[in-house]
Amino acid sequence: MSRKKIFAAVAAASLLALTGCGANAGASNSGAAAGDFPKKGKSIDLIVAFSSGGAVDTAARLIQPVLEKELGTNVEVINKPGAGGQIGYTALTGAKPDGYTIGATGSPSVVVSPLDPARGAKYTRDSFQPLGRQVIDPTVIAVQPDSPYKSLKELLEAVKAKPKSLTASTTGIQTGEHFALAQIQESTGSEFAPVHFSEGASQATTAFLGKHVDVLVANVSDVNDLSKQGKARVLGVMSGDRAPSLPEIPTFKESGYDLTAGTARGYSAPAGLPADVARKLEAAIEKAIEDPAVVQKMKDLGLQTSYLNGTDYQQFWAGQEDDFKKVLPLVQKKD
Amino acid sequence: METLNELLGGFATAMTWQNLLFAFLGCLLGTIIGVLPGVGPVAGVALLIPLTLNLDPAGSIIMLCAIFYGTQYGGTITSVLLNTPGEASSAITTIDGYAMTKMGRAGAALTLAAVGSFIGGTIATVGLVAAAKPLGEMGLLVGPPEFFALMVVGISLLVALAGKSMVKALISGALGLLISMVGIDPVAGAPRFTFGIDNLMDGVSFVAVIVGVFGLSEILSFRRNEPTPVVHAPGFRQLFPSRTEWRRSAPAMARGTGVGFGLGLIPGMTGSVSSLLSYATEKRFSRFRHELGKGAVEGVAGPETANNAHANAALIPLFTLGIPASPTIAVLMGAFLQQGLTPGPSLFTDHSEIAWAIIASLFIGNVLLLLLNVPLVGLWTSILRVPTPILTAVILVFMVIGAYTINFSVFDVYVMIGFGLLGLALRNLDIPLAPMVLTLVLGPLMERSLRESLEISQGDFTVFTSRPISAVLIGIGLLIICSPLLKLRKPKALMEDPEA
Repeated sequence: MSRKKIFAAVAAASLLALTGCGANAGASNSGAAAGDFPKKGKSIDLIVAFSSGGAVDTAARLIQPVLEKELGTNVEVINKPGAGGQIGYTALTGAKPDGYTIGATGSPSVVVSPLDPARGAKYTRDSFQPLGRQVIDPTVIAVQPDSPYKSLKELLEAVKAKPKSLTASTTGIQTGEHFALAQIQESTGSEFAPVHFSEGASQATTAFLGKHVDVLVANVSDVNDLSKQGKARVLGVMSGDRAPSLPEIPTFKESGYDLTAGTARGYSAPAGLPADVARKLEAAIEKAIEDPAVVQKMKDLGLQTSYLNGTDYQQFWAGQEDDFKKVLPLVQKKD
Repeated sequence: METLNELLGGFATAMTWQNLLFAFLGCLLGTIIGVLPGVGPVAGVALLIPLTLNLDPAGSIIMLCAIFYGTQYGGTITSVLLNTPGEASSAITTIDGYAMTKMGRAGAALTLAAVGSFIGGTIATVGLVAAAKPLGEMGLLVGPPEFFALMVVGISLLVALAGKSMVKALISGALGLLISMVGIDPVAGAPRFTFGIDNLMDGVSFVAVIVGVFGLSEILSFRRNEPTPVVHAPGFRQLFPSRTEWRRSAPAMARGTGVGFGLGLIPGMTGSVSSLLSYATEKRFSRFRHELGKGAVEGVAGPETANNAHANAALIPLFTLGIPASPTIAVLMGAFLQQGLTPGPSLFTDHSEIAWAIIASLFIGNVLLLLLNVPLVGLWTSILRVPTPILTAVILVFMVIGAYTINFSVFDVYVMIGFGLLGLALRNLDIPLAPMVLTLVLGPLMERSLRESLEISQGDFTVFTSRPISAVLIGIGLLIICSPLLKLRKPKALMEDPEA
């Protein structure tokens, strides 16, 4: 009898103790004195604004362990997909600027979403503190392997003759893929019917593999593996030079269309970080991005590392904002 | 035969004593983490990843899989004993699981949940071994229109959850859809129903809603003039399910496996959809459907089997196509990448030894989960020896902390309390709560697939009826909705596999 009671008491006590642990982990939220950043045992959230499995997510998960080693604490990748990145960016900029929340930021989605008032974004460029740019990933256009279109010209001519006869994927309204489609329409007159997979590239790719969309508009890294397996016929790369991982695919320019487009990805924090916290994060992110093993793994996935530090990334961002402001009307809803 | 050879080779790799130890440790740590309020499988696996980084690829991924199983089961323990789900996919288990606890059948509920998880997980893994490639491609057949049609079938099961009044079920269901609209428009990006509150931008947290609606409102509904319900801790003999309970669970587990496995193959489907639809299926097709909600074993065995079958089936798209079908799988995928393995078909050609070792470890993880947790059921249920008033206080503490730790935000605690009050009001009005939870989970998925479908068809609604799979699914949905009116016999064969 009494043995039972003791047992029960122990069980209850251990439960409460466990509860206590859970509470402690989150309790030390406030008063982030910068000198001791990051506190041991307090994890850093890395918000990815697109769903798992896409290039943004993959890159974040690759740098995560190096970041952990550099910062000496846990770094947790959290996917907050939806609305072409806006949901994740809202969460990032709404977080306390104490260094314990950082996020992956990709342009044009992060640059453009605050520019269109219809989206009601809660943030602007000034809400972010850029920490470092990791890659530029050119846009590509691919069709089903059994498609009748063997070249970019054939595809674009066919669509020009019959507008909206083919569906094309994007990763959301006003994302890089949507802009690329708009640019193509503007300069060639070929109008695709866009289908917005607002959670990211993995949803778009899945739908393409199931033949639910005709044309996959994506980035080099998304089609790298698909092209090797013969599951997608890549027709053109929207970069100045051919992509090293797809050496046999011609650029748009080679096919006679002078168009470039792509996604630039990096990492940012909410604006207002204490200076030494920012320095620490920037240094750790640089180490992680430039880590030879990470660079090699990125290369295997078809991603070319092109690091910029926080200040340069900020300038690059401002430049992108100017560029995209000009083409924004192309992708704005007209009604 | 070659497959069997390779699988045996995988077992040989996975069964070294180190790997078994890693799997055991992973399972144990995972369970403990899962019992902690608010730490679901995703956070749990992420927290424990550093432990696995220095191991060799096979060992590290084996341990991760075991952690993953453990956290899932840990969430079930709190659902059943404390009426507080550790994670979304065992949320629905609270209804009958906690009712069973109040009847002194907590031990049976936990044992059945472990056995169901084992069965669901093992059968799904057999599917992975036997027919990964065709099954993976079958998942691809489900495009946005089919996905939407599947959601229609899901919503149609609302009629099963209705109880006495269909109108009240519809009110509850509409409320759930309304709540699911809160937050940033998932396609166009404009905020909806956020009333300028930043915390609502991301929508309301599902776990906070569930804890409030089911857990808190239940505590609040104790009347002062009624005797406090006493929760009995089961004696040793009562820890195990009775023969009747076993017999009743078997068909529920079979249905749960079918639902979870079918839905798990579809990229973008979450485990909570599987457990909810399994519950609704029980409500509709079980012989004991009238007992559901009052502590029926089917309400535990079905959903718990379904969410594990789902979790393992979700590995099929990862292995065959490189598509992570759920957030937890994404964490696993991250671990693959860390180890220099690219998930996808090339995994079996480039690193076949590791691929098969992982599959073997899935089987081992399932067995360990059973071996570890069934003996521990006695330990877990001893929590209930704490006198009821104190235990109720402990449960309240758990609920608050559980809600807080979702995002480390007090706002979620308010959400939990608010929904507790809403739940209380609905209980008093005799409006069933389950339809609301069903539509809350299905709503966003339904909206997204509807909009994607209409973009594909450029606004033409016939896209749902002109494609064979979606037409059949919509037909099934209509049939289920109409069946109470027409007094049709249950279309059981149709329901076994929602993908058929």
